[in-house]
Amino acid sequence: MLKMTGLSKVYRTEVVETYALRELTLEVQEGEFVAVMGPSGSGKTTFLTIAGLLEELSAGEYWLDGVDTRGLTDRQRSRLRNEKIGFVFQSFNLISDLTVHENIDVPLRYRGLPASERRRRIDAVLERVGLTSRARHYASEMSGGQQQRVAIARALVGEPRLLLADEPTGNLDTQMARGVMELLEDIHLRGATIVMVTHDPALAARAQRQVYISDGQIMALGMPPHLVDGGHASQLATQPSEPV
Amino acid sequence: MFGYYFNLALRSLRRNIILTVLMIAAIGIGIGASMTMLTVFRAASGDPIPQKSAQLFVPQIDNFGPQSGMPAQYADLLTPDLTYIDAIGFLRSQAATRQAAMYPTLLAITPTDPAHSPMQVDARATSGDFFPMFDVPFKFGGPWTRTEDDGHASVVVLTRKLNNLLFGGSNSVGQQLTVGGKPYRIIGVLDEWHPAPRFYDVGAQTFSGEDQLFLPFTRAIDEQMSTSSSFNCSGATGPGWEGMLHSNCIWIRFWVELSTARDVASYNTFLHNYAAEQQQTGRFHWPPHVALRNVTQWLSYNHVVPAAVDTLTSVSFALLLVCVVNAIGLMLAKFMAGTGAVSVRRALGATREAVFAQFMVEAGVVGLVGGLVGVGLTKLGLVSCRAVLDEDLSVLTRFHGSDVLIALAVALVATLLAGLYPTWRAMQVQPASQLKAQ
Amino acid sequence: MELGPILSSLRRNKVGATLIALQIALTLAVLSNALFIVAQQTAMSRAPTGIADESSVFFISNQWIGGDEDLAARAQADLANLRALPQVADVSLSPAQPLGGRGMGMDITLHPEKRRSGVLTALYPVDDHAVNTLGLRLIAGRNFRPEEILISHGFSENYPTWGSVVVTREVARALDPSGNVLGRTATFSPGKVTATIVGVVDQLASGRFGGDSAGAERGVLAPLLWAGVNGYYVVRAKPGQVEAAMTAARNELYKTSRQRTIASVQTLADARLEFYRGARGEALLMSLICAILLGVTAFGIIGLTSYWVSQRRRHIGIRRALGATAGSILRYFQTENLLIAGAGSVLGVGLGIAANLWLLRSVAMERLPPVYLIVGTIVVLILGQISVLWPALRAAGVPPAIAARSA
Repeated sequence: MLKMTGLSKVYRTEVVETYALRELTLEVQEGEFVAVMGPSGSGKTTFLTIAGLLEELSAGEYWLDGVDTRGLTDRQRSRLRNEKIGFVFQSFNLISDLTVHENIDVPLRYRGLPASERRRRIDAVLERVGLTSRARHYASEMSGGQQQRVAIARALVGEPRLLLADEPTGNLDTQMARGVMELLEDIHLRGATIVMVTHDPALAARAQRQVYISDGQIMALGMPPHLVDGGHASQLATQPSEPV
Repeated sequence: MFGYYFNLALRSLRRNIILTVLMIAAIGIGIGASMTMLTVFRAASGDPIPQKSAQLFVPQIDNFGPQSGMPAQYADLLTPDLTYIDAIGFLRSQAATRQAAMYPTLLAITPTDPAHSPMQVDARATSGDFFPMFDVPFKFGGPWTRTEDDGHASVVVLTRKLNNLLFGGSNSVGQQLTVGGKPYRIIGVLDEWHPAPRFYDVGAQTFSGEDQLFLPFTRAIDEQMSTSSSFNCSGATGPGWEGMLHSNCIWIRFWVELSTARDVASYNTFLHNYAAEQQQTGRFHWPPHVALRNVTQWLSYNHVVPAAVDTLTSVSFALLLVCVVNAIGLMLAKFMAGTGAVSVRRALGATREAVFAQFMVEAGVVGLVGGLVGVGLTKLGLVSCRAVLDEDLSVLTRFHGSDVLIALAVALVATLLAGLYPTWRAMQVQPASQLKAQ
Repeated sequence: MELGPILSSLRRNKVGATLIALQIALTLAVLSNALFIVAQQTAMSRAPTGIADESSVFFISNQWIGGDEDLAARAQADLANLRALPQVADVSLSPAQPLGGRGMGMDITLHPEKRRSGVLTALYPVDDHAVNTLGLRLIAGRNFRPEEILISHGFSENYPTWGSVVVTREVARALDPSGNVLGRTATFSPGKVTATIVGVVDQLASGRFGGDSAGAERGVLAPLLWAGVNGYYVVRAKPGQVEAAMTAARNELYKTSRQRTIASVQTLADARLEFYRGARGEALLMSLICAILLGVTAFGIIGLTSYWVSQRRRHIGIRRALGATAGSILRYFQTENLLIAGAGSVLGVGLGIAANLWLLRSVAMERLPPVYLIVGTIVVLILGQISVLWPALRAAGVPPAIAARSA
């Protein structure tokens, strides 16, 4: 589904160059649920923005669902994001002056689907996240958990092959977090590939596989970082392993 | 997608109402001021006889010679009018399809009812060709012909307005009218005819001036009716009316109709030969210097658009420019306040083109609403122009249906141009910026 | 004042600052030229005619019907009848009206042998009552004597000489820089008519002749009783009786003869209003556009500065928390605006001069005196300070506590 080889991301300013990712290599199979872990500033979020085609990489290769993403135009990248990827952000990122229904409608609009098809899909996905009755509400009128369920509905409505989640429960209390997590697991069971960035080991444990990032590199697969040396891990990362 | 963007634009404009009102006000005011003056300017510089303006010409000939002190506005030092001698020479030549000599004069009309005082009207002494040449519409009767011209006939054509005043609008053809104390027969009554600018006689009252009565040039000369417009002489004048007619005084305007390019060329040759002949006979002491100008060229040669209209139009467009710069700033502020949503939309698959379209639609809505406000302000502006501008120019302050479309189009184009930079900035918003913001 | 942080913040808000500066510049460019035009037009519409008490002088536009009779005799009868009216102080007759539609232009020179030495003047063929009727101030020499008045049927008599002539000071100076022209022989063209200059009056404006106002103060009085078909009776009413005199004069003329039309009876004060209506209108519209321009610029500054303030609320809060006073925040925004407006003004002065040069070329405009640029600059700088006040006060009102809250 997702294959990164020797991937680097450099942020340049006039005075300094900062490596957010350094020679990162990782492969995620179709239908996997992978948790990406690591401390703050390790490059997790940058990894996710590259994986989600939100940013361009500086060096290396990134194949998404059999497509080489290097050299794609903005239009092609936008289209891939729209059709293959669903995003769930820590801060929900709902558009505040749109209703729940309209927020979920956004990716469908950019896909250019007819009104009846959009309505059908939105109703279905709202039912799935249990928010059918709140379709006409604005995001600001809802709780954090509900907002995140709307965000997940928005990510799912386009039926993406890959769901990218960035600390999806980071802004939620325990009970709401559990609900969101159950929803993600349900989505996974229905066949979607999920890559979730988190620093919460309990959450990560519910994924099939855990990947650790530190200093912009993959440190280990399914094991705590202190047990593995860096160079080895990169090689191992190219080989998918069974979930723990 | 347009409907979607339109809907988004309306929401967005409702969100920050103060910025929205300021933007719309800026565009509206800019459009209002510039369209007010543009309407006047267009009316002043319009083609008064579009179907024929390329076939009607004023022949000019240098009567005063290269040493004359003509006003600087006539850059080629040609005299704008003809002498009586040359007008008669041109008329006799019959070198054009149609030709008319003309001059304005003030005439006294004595009403049949002795209780009423005589009234003064603006009249025009001209040739019968005047009417078919300028497509002048008739309500009753018709123009006089060359027969009446040659016979120095005592006939007159009235305008509809004068006919309404004197005869209550009834068909007065065949009736008698006392003009300058002498009897004339009414041969025709015009329908409404108000070419603006009054191309055939520019100068005083170029826009609002109206002739009320027309009579044959030959008759007017016999009656010694003097011109009420400019009369310029060079050299000594002879005694009496006859002396004046044969002096080097310019006061007669001449128009010819030339339908084809060949006619124009042959008339040019005629003019040149005529001037050469005058040099040979010793009347002119200078080589031929002639010109043949069509309506458009004639209006521009005479600087028909008043300097005040010119200046005010420039200034009002400078105001529009300031308003557009203003709108750029306000739109920038407005669009930049919405970068969060842009970033989310980009992440969800909006292309840069989609962002461009969304914000240009928003700019377009501002432009259209601003344009409508501008149309209202234009009407207000024209009313105030009418109140304060020179009376001659107030006929130029009519607002036509096409002006509404022009105002809206200018508003739309100006606002879309103003929206380009803010939209470009919105397009540069990275899809990742929301993730990074955490 | 802390210029460093302001400059670095301006660098970050380059575009917004540039837009404000650009608006200031355009406003200044338009304002300075418009003020100049307004001043010129206003001065022109108030220019004196040399005629005393304009509201007591009126003109009756008369046209004779039946031109074959002796128009001179009819005119003399009219003049005598009008002078006999109790409301009337004095009456004269002329084919031209100052500040009117009709006028006559003639060249005058003291050196007819020299080519192009003529000075264009506005000719008033009048009788010996004109100086008194118009209330012209005779500064040298004398008025016409009654016996000097000739009769003119539209200049067709070809008098070789008019005998005497009275010129204005302006014409005298144009003829001879010393202005000492009394007793000298002037030649008029066309026609090469000669006349001895017997008097000089202070001032007499022209009408509009040949579409040219070059002869604005170059009036010349010729001793000719006008016996043309069209003419103006010039009447001076006794003080406070102008209305009554206008009615009485019209009635008197119709009583004398109905073989005439009277197209208008108008005081010189009204003629002035009509004559300069366009100039006043232009000045008024120009002022209106300037007022709108200033308003638009002010709102632009308010809009953009408010946006900056809302963007920088947190930074302002942090500054306040770190000890900045409300006054220093206020001064920060004021100084920032002064810098932007100052930069805009420099550009605006350049644009203003460029606009003036362009106007010089396209319409009859004079070179812009620097005082208008200075006044314009002061106005836009003050405008900037006034406009920035409201958003700056809002910024100064940001509570320091905002720094403690999350973004």
